[in-house]
Amino acid sequence: MAMIEIRHVFKWYDKFQVLADCSTQVEKGEVVVVCGPSGSGKSTLIKCVNALEPFQQGEIVVDGVSVGASATNLPKLRARVGMVFQHFELFPHMSIVDNLTIGQVKVLGRPRELAREKGLNLLARVGLSAQAEKFPGQLSGGQQQRVAIARALSMDPICMLFDEPTSALDPEMINEVLDVMVELAAEGMTMMVVTHEMGFARKVANRVIFMDGGRIVEDDAKDTFFGNPRSERAQQFLAKILHH
Amino acid sequence: MNYHWNWGIYFQTVQAGEETYLDWLISGLGWTLAVALTAWLIALAMGAVMGTLRTLPGRAPLAIGNAWVEVFRNVPLLVQLFLWFFVVPELLPRDLALWVKQDMPAKEFVTAAICLGLFTSARIAEQVRAGIQSLPRGQRMAALALGFTLPQAYRYVILPMAFRIIIPPLTSEFMNIFKNSSVAFAIGVLELTFQARQMQEDSEQGIETYLAVTVLYFLCAFLANRGMAFIERRTRVPGFIAAGK
Repeated sequence: MAMIEIRHVFKWYDKFQVLADCSTQVEKGEVVVVCGPSGSGKSTLIKCVNALEPFQQGEIVVDGVSVGASATNLPKLRARVGMVFQHFELFPHMSIVDNLTIGQVKVLGRPRELAREKGLNLLARVGLSAQAEKFPGQLSGGQQQRVAIARALSMDPICMLFDEPTSALDPEMINEVLDVMVELAAEGMTMMVVTHEMGFARKVANRVIFMDGGRIVEDDAKDTFFGNPRSERAQQFLAKILHH
Repeated sequence: MNYHWNWGIYFQTVQAGEETYLDWLISGLGWTLAVALTAWLIALAMGAVMGTLRTLPGRAPLAIGNAWVEVFRNVPLLVQLFLWFFVVPELLPRDLALWVKQDMPAKEFVTAAICLGLFTSARIAEQVRAGIQSLPRGQRMAALALGFTLPQAYRYVILPMAFRIIIPPLTSEFMNIFKNSSVAFAIGVLELTFQARQMQEDSEQGIETYLAVTVLYFLCAFLANRGMAFIERRTRVPGFIAAGK
């Protein structure tokens, strides 16, 4: 069974349709990159996976749990799905290490010392041990995003969702974040990544999904997508973002 | 001006009794502080709750929060005080009404603190709502994505930041609550304004009386302001609001 199953999902804001009949799946250990022009619904789709955005029709199943079902304990489900946001969204009033422990303590009920130890280990892993007692506002964007990834990992997630993790970063900081993500992929983490970083997609993605107008237009193995995209829309998109 | 100045009046004993006028003023100041600080606790608690309700999903919480703010903000404070004192007890069940009217301890004080607290809570609710809405929407999402329930998201992420943001308007409210507590004299709380009227009538030294009272209110509000400034410095988030320092 797939880790994430998305079946015929539709979503509307009032009468405006943002997702139309989206179906795909992410297998355990797979890295799937979602790309497409802005407004194509890719961020909305990924937020539907952990129910940060509701959807009106269809079904999403994460590790056997139906996200849309009313009986589902959403906090419990979300605690198992790591998420990284475009604008980092660290908690500005907490030190870096507190950002990494609060979820473990308040949601998972881990003892504080244990949570702190794990947090510091993860911080070392993303190369930011020296920043443990600083506050998010004192870090660069790239550093903040690495902390955000560490925060998501502190919950021992079964899969990770990335919503344009590098698009708010200065160009020179993009690689430090992508490096962490590449490493994570190499360790076998199941990942669904909304990004325009085609270099990242080429390097680690198993599959690439291309969205346009709320629909999944292409859902291909990486080599097929880059070598021979079927839809004209994807060809245009690739032509634009690969040759600038 | 044909006024008989007497700057020693504060240390003279009152017409009928052993106390000095200064004793009256100090006792009045004590009740003023008691009313204001009790009301402040009520105002903060209810303001946080009602302000939060107005930011929750769904129509019912919003409606309750809106109604709360409109009711307490649109009726004059003095009228509210009389409503609480004279009208509300009549609306209670008979036994409770009897107890409130006859046996409730410090009835005037309790009424004044509740009235002023709820009046101020409506204003704080507005500020809390504005503070919450000024936070990036992603903060709530990040908290929920981490597995927090909505109450946990408010408790650990949203409200701590919202309250930091609204410290400047909260400071004004905290200062106002000392000044507004003066209406409590109208239902017989023996606070500073009440004691001032009593002292003026008793001593016939109006200028000295109201000068002292003015200074005491000024000090209350001034110290409230300094206290909030201290809290603002202590809770400042490094690197978050760069302005100032």
